[in-house]
Amino acid sequence: MLETKRRSWFVVIILTMLFLSACGSGGAGSSSDEGQSGKATIRFATWDSEENLTLQQGLVDKFNEAHPDIQVSLEAYGSEYDTKIAAGMGAKDAPDVMYMWNYPTYKDALEPLDSYLEKEGADFKNNYYETLWNYNSADGKVLGLPVGYTTHVVYYNKDLFDKANVPYPKSDWTWDDLQAAAKKLNNPDESISGFAFSGTPDPYDFEMFLWGNGTAYVDDSGKTQGSLNSQKSVDVLTMFQNMLKDGYAITTEGSGSTEMKSGKVAMFTNGAWSIGSLKEAGINFGIVELPSFKDGSAVSIVSSSGISMSKDSKNKDAAWEFIKFWTSEEANKARLDYELPVLKSVVESEKLQDDELKKVFYHMLEMSEGYTPASFKVENWSEMSEKLALVFEQIFNPSTLMDPKAVLDDAAE
Amino acid sequence: MEHAVKPHKRVRRWDKWTPYLFISPWIIGILLFTVGPLIFSLIMSFFDWPVTSSPKFIGLGNYTKMFTEDPQFYKSLLITLKFALFYVPLSLVTSLILAMLISQSVRGVKFFRTIFYLPAVVSGVAVSIIWGWIFNTKYGILNYALFLLGIEGPKWLIDPNSAIITIVIASAWGVGTMMLIFYTNIKSIPPDLYESASIDGAGPIRQFTHVTLPLITPTIFFNLITSTISALQQLTLVLLLTNGGPLKSTYFYGLFVYNNAFKHHKLGYASANAWFMFIIILLLTALIFKSSNAWVFYENEVKKERKKGGKKK
Repeated sequence: MLETKRRSWFVVIILTMLFLSACGSGGAGSSSDEGQSGKATIRFATWDSEENLTLQQGLVDKFNEAHPDIQVSLEAYGSEYDTKIAAGMGAKDAPDVMYMWNYPTYKDALEPLDSYLEKEGADFKNNYYETLWNYNSADGKVLGLPVGYTTHVVYYNKDLFDKANVPYPKSDWTWDDLQAAAKKLNNPDESISGFAFSGTPDPYDFEMFLWGNGTAYVDDSGKTQGSLNSQKSVDVLTMFQNMLKDGYAITTEGSGSTEMKSGKVAMFTNGAWSIGSLKEAGINFGIVELPSFKDGSAVSIVSSSGISMSKDSKNKDAAWEFIKFWTSEEANKARLDYELPVLKSVVESEKLQDDELKKVFYHMLEMSEGYTPASFKVENWSEMSEKLALVFEQIFNPSTLMDPKAVLDDAAE
Repeated sequence: MEHAVKPHKRVRRWDKWTPYLFISPWIIGILLFTVGPLIFSLIMSFFDWPVTSSPKFIGLGNYTKMFTEDPQFYKSLLITLKFALFYVPLSLVTSLILAMLISQSVRGVKFFRTIFYLPAVVSGVAVSIIWGWIFNTKYGILNYALFLLGIEGPKWLIDPNSAIITIVIASAWGVGTMMLIFYTNIKSIPPDLYESASIDGAGPIRQFTHVTLPLITPTIFFNLITSTISALQQLTLVLLLTNGGPLKSTYFYGLFVYNNAFKHHKLGYASANAWFMFIIILLLTALIFKSSNAWVFYENEVKKERKKGGKKK
C-alpha cells in the first residue's frame, strides 16, 4: 500500500516537472546560446534552400574553421522566412544575423550599422554600388550590408525574332519600339504572344514603370494624391492595358517565365531569376535593358538582398565579423553562380562588364540611381501594397479591364 | 482485517487522481497550446503590437478601428457569411446523400465507402493544389471535360463572380467526416422500424422522411454546428488557391485575420478580429442550440414522456 502512495507522489512530481520544463523551455533555450568555454554563438537565418543552401552551409563551415572563437549556425527558414523572422523578433529571440530586404518593416528590430562601417574606413563602403545603399537603409540609417541584387530587364526569344524577321532590341529602345516589335511577333495561329506581363504584378516592382515616366506612387511627403493618379501614372497603366486590348500581349499569373519557357512568348520583363530556368529549358534568349518612355527614361527597381544584425544580439562584435565575411570578395565570388556581386572590385576582377548577359543588369543598375521605392517612404507599405495589387487587378483582369483613371483616382483618395 | 482496511482508504484519496493522470497529456496540451494562447490573444487585442517593437496598450482602440475605419472588415465578414450560407446546406445535403448511398447493401459498397472518405484523409494543402489544377481556366481538366461536352467552361478562379462558388465546390469535397457520422447513425437505426413501416405501406421515400430523418436529427444538429464553425473559419483553401483574389472576391475573414497578423504585422488588431469572430460563432452556435428544441428529436425524450404519461393515467 505504501508503495501505491509513493507512486502517486511520483506521478504528481512528474506532472509538475513536465509543466515547469514546458514553461521554461523558451528561456532556457536562449540562455544556452551564450555557449560554453567563451565561444560566441551566432545564429544566422537564411531564406535560401536546396543548392544555394548547401553552398551557404559550405561558406559558414569555412568561416567557423577560420574563427575558433565564433560558432555560426545556419538556420534555413525557407518560404516562411518573413513569418518566422517576425515571430522571432516578437519573442525577443531573433537570429543574431539574418538576410533582409524589407527594411522598413523590420527597422525597429535591426542594429544600425553606420558606426561599424565608419570603423572600416571609406574605401570599404565605396566598394559597393551606390544605388544599393538606398535599398539597405531606413530613416537615413544603414541597416544592412548589400549581398546581392537584381535589376529588371527584358528577356526576348531570339528564335521567334528571327522567324518573324524582327531585329533584336537595342539598349536605347523605347516602349513604342517594344510595341511595334510585339505586334509583328504576335502570331495567334501558333498562339504566340508578342509580349507578356504579370496580371497581378508585385506593386513594389511595378513602380519602376511609373519612375520611367517621371512619376511615382507617392510624393516626397508620402501622399498618393497627385502622384498615383497623376496623368503620367494613368498613361503608364493605359499603355499596358491597351497592349492587352489590342491583343498582342497577354497577362500571366507569374512573372511570365513559365510562358517564355514554353516558347510561346516573345518578350517579358523580370529580374535575373529567369536566366537559369530559361537556359535549362533550352530557350535561345537574349537580354536587353528596359525600354524608355517617350519623354522619360528607363529605370528599374532594384530587388536587393542584404544582411542585417539583430538589435538584441548578445555577440554584436562576432556578428559583425561574420557579416563582413559574408559580404567579402571571397564570399561574393563563391555565390557568383546564383547572385550578381555587389562589390565593384569583384565585378572588375571577374570581368562581368564583358559578360553578355550580366553586363545588362549592371548597366540597368547605373541607370537607376537616385530612386527610392514607396515602401521606404510610407509607414504602412504592406497595406498600401495590398491596395495597389487590387488596383492592378482591376485594370488588368480580363473580366473587368476597368478604366485606369477612375481606378487610380479612387485609390488615391 | 481492520488493520488492512485503513491504509486502503488512504490510498483511495489518490485514486481519484488516477483518471487525470491518464488524460494529463491532453490537459497539458490544452492548457499550453489552447487556453494559454486564447487568453494571451484576448489580452493582446487591447494592445497595439507591431511585432518588431514592444506592445502598447490602447484599450478598445482595435475594436473601434475595426467597426469604424476598416471597410475590408465588413467586406470580408460578408464574404465569409455568404460562403457559409452556400457551404453549410450543400455539405449537409451531400454528406447525407453519400451516407444513404454507402449504407445500402450493394456489392462493392466497401470500396465506395473508402473512396468517399478519402478526401477527408488527404491533407488540406494537397487538396488545394489539386483543385488549383482542376480549376485552371486554360489547362484545367474540368474545363477540358466541359469542352468535350461542347460547353465553354467558366473562368473559375479568374472571374470574381465564380470564384466563391469554386471555393464552395472545393470545400464540399471534404465532407467525408460528416458522411461517416451520418453513416454510423443511420446504421444504428433498428431495422424493425423499417420493417414495420414497410408493413404499414411506406415506400422508400416515406421511410426516409418519416423514419430515418427524424431519428438522425441529433446528428444533423451536430453536423450543422461543426460545419457552420468550420465554414466561418475557412482559411487553407483560400490561402493556397486564390490568396483572396480575384479582386478580393474570396478575401475570407480567416484570411483577413491571417494577413493582418502575419503580413501587416498588426498582431493586436488581428487578435481583436479573431475575438470578434469567436463571439459571432458563439452566438450562432447558441442560436442553433436554442432552435434545436423545435426540431431535434432524442429517443430517450419520448421514452420519458411515455413514462410520465403512464403515471398520469
